[in-house]
Amino acid sequence: MITKNLTISNPQGFHMRPASVFSAAMGKYPCKVTVNFNGNSYNAKSTLNLIAACMKCGSEIELVCDGENENGAMAEAVQLIESGFGE
Amino acid sequence: MLKGAGVSDGIGIGRVLVIEEHSLEYTPKTVTDKKAETERFNDAVKVFCENTEKQADSLRISAGEKEAEIMLGHISIVKDPYLIGEVEKLINDGQCAESAFENICDMFISIFSSTDDELTKQRAADVRDVKTGILKILLGIDDIDISEAPKGTVLAAKELTPSMAAGINKENIVGIITETGGTTSHSAILARVLEIPAVMSIANLSEYIQNGDTVIVDGSSGEVLGSPDNAQLERYTEKQEQLLRERRELENFRGKVTVSADGERYELVCNIGKPEDAAKALEFDGEGVGLFRTEFLFMDKTSLPSEDEQFGEYKKTALMLKGKPLIIRTLDIGGDKEIPYMGLKKEDNPFMGFRAIRYCLKNREIFKTQLRAILRASTFGNISIMFPLITCVEELREGKALIEEIKSELRAEGTEFDENIRVGIMVETASAAVIADILAKESDFFSIGTNDLTGYTMSCDRGNSDVSYLYSVLQPSVLRMIKRIIECARENNIPVGMCGEAAADPMMIPLLISFGLTEFSVSAPSVLKVRKCISGWTKQKADEAAKKVMSLDTRQSVYDYLKTVI
Repeated sequence: MITKNLTISNPQGFHMRPASVFSAAMGKYPCKVTVNFNGNSYNAKSTLNLIAACMKCGSEIELVCDGENENGAMAEAVQLIESGFGE
Repeated sequence: MLKGAGVSDGIGIGRVLVIEEHSLEYTPKTVTDKKAETERFNDAVKVFCENTEKQADSLRISAGEKEAEIMLGHISIVKDPYLIGEVEKLINDGQCAESAFENICDMFISIFSSTDDELTKQRAADVRDVKTGILKILLGIDDIDISEAPKGTVLAAKELTPSMAAGINKENIVGIITETGGTTSHSAILARVLEIPAVMSIANLSEYIQNGDTVIVDGSSGEVLGSPDNAQLERYTEKQEQLLRERRELENFRGKVTVSADGERYELVCNIGKPEDAAKALEFDGEGVGLFRTEFLFMDKTSLPSEDEQFGEYKKTALMLKGKPLIIRTLDIGGDKEIPYMGLKKEDNPFMGFRAIRYCLKNREIFKTQLRAILRASTFGNISIMFPLITCVEELREGKALIEEIKSELRAEGTEFDENIRVGIMVETASAAVIADILAKESDFFSIGTNDLTGYTMSCDRGNSDVSYLYSVLQPSVLRMIKRIIECARENNIPVGMCGEAAADPMMIPLLISFGLTEFSVSAPSVLKVRKCISGWTKQKADEAAKKVMSLDTRQSVYDYLKTVI
C-alpha cells in the first residue's frame, strides 16, 4: 500500500469532467484507489464518489493505492492532479 | 397571462402538448431470484446506454457537440462501478432492481444537493435524469415520442431535458414553456441552440395549461398567453410577422458588399474562438475573420500544444475561409486564468500583470512555437498576425524581430510561408492609444479592442457592480481614445479595425464611419445587422453626428444625443 498527499490545483475543482477523467484513468488499474478527504474515504474509480467529495481548488487530499500495480496507478494519479486536468 | 423568464427570443403561436411527468410509482417487492434480478438491472442499463447514445447522436446534429457530451455523461453515471456495485449489493439483500437503483440514486442526489457548490448541485439534475430513464425502462413505460408532435406544437413540461431536446423536430415545435430553468440553465441553452422561442420558470405551469390549449409564447418578454382572444391573436401574429419581416429584411443584405449610403466600402468580418467558428462566420455572411482567438488551443489541455497541432488548426481555419482574410491573435493569456502547466500564478492585479505579449516575450519557446505554426499555415490562406496588449513600441519590435528570425529558419529549412505576412497589433491599452502615432509607423494594421480599452481607460472593472457604471464606450475619454487611434492609423495609411463589442453597436457605427474606421469585426450573428446599419449612413451625416458628440461632456449627454439620431 502506498499513500501520497496532494493538493487539487485546477480552478474548478473535481467537477464532472475531471472526476470522470480521473475515475476512468484509475479504473484501468487492478489495485484499490481511495481518496481520503475531510475525514471521509471515497472510491477513486467512481465518478459519483469523486463528485460527492466536493474537492475544490486548494483542497488537500490523501491518495491511497493498494494492490496490483499500485505504483503505476499512483504515478498516473499524481500526473493528472498536478497537471490540473489541463484547466 | 402567465409570466416567466423569456430565455429564447421570438414568438410562437401553437397548441400545447403537455409532456406528462410519468408516474414512476411501483410496489417494492422482495426478490428471491437475485441472479435474475441483477440481470434485469443490467439489461436495463444496456438499453439505457443504447438509447442515450442515439439521443446524443441526434442532439449532436440539432444542437452541437457540447450538448451531446452531456448525454454521454449520463452513460458514465450509469456505468459507474461504485453505483453498480451498491445496486447489486441491495439486490443481493433482496431488494428489487427498481428500489435498489432508486435508493442509490437518491443517496447521490441528496449528497449533491446538500453541498454548497453550484456545479455539484447541478449534477443532482443529471443523476435525476438517469434515475428516471432507468426506472422507465425497468417499469416498461414508453416515452412520449416528441419527434412525432404535429406542426405548430408548443411543448409544456416541468423541464426541458436533454433527452427531450434530442427528440425535437425544429420544423414542428414552435415554442417551449417549462416550470423550471432560468436564463442560464441548461434547458435555456438548449432552447436557444435549437432557435425555438421559450419561456421558463413559470410557477405551477401545469395548473394553467392543458393539452390542446392554444397559447402564445413570447420568448422576448417572458409572457405566455393562454386561450388568447382574437384581438390578442391578431396583435401577436402581427408582432411575429414583424419579427420575421425584420429577419427577412436583414436577409436582403446577405451576399452584398458592406457599403455606406454614399458608396464607401468597409470590411465586415467576424470574431471567432475556434476553427469551427470560421464556418459559422461564413454562414452568417462574414467577409473573413478579424480576430481569431487562439486560447482554445491552450485551455483544454494538460500540456502545451505542439507546433504541428497548432499548425493543423490554423491551416484548417485558413482553408475553410478560402482566401478571405484571417487575423490570428497570438496567445492572450494571463493571471486571471490558471493554467498549471504554463506556470501562471494567481496575481493580485491580473489585468495589470504578467499576461499576453508580456508573457509570450518572456517565454520565447512557447511564443516561437505558435509563430512558427502560424507562418507555416500562412501559405494556405490570407493570414495576418496580431499581437495583443501592446503598451510600448519595444514589444512590437521584439515580436517582429522574432518573426524575422523564424522566417530565416524556415527559409533555411526550405519550408514555405507567406513572405509578406502582415503583422499588426491590438490597440487596447491606454498607453497604446496615446502612442498610436508611434506604433502606426511600425505596425501593418491596428485593431481596436474596445472591451479592454474601455476598462483600462476608465480604470474600472465592468464585473464589479460598484464601479461598472463607469464602464461605457460612450465615455468622452474613450471616444477620444478611439478617434485618436483611427486618425493615427489613417495618417500612416494603415488599415484600422475594431474587434470589440462596440463595432456592432448602432450608436457607435456613425462615429466610427466619421472617424475613418476601415474594418468592423463582430460576432457572426451581428453581421447582417451591422451591414444594414452601415448602409444607412452617409459620411456627411456621420460627420455631423460625430462633431456634435465630440462637443458633449458626459456619457449621458452622448447617449441621449445618439438616441435621437439612430
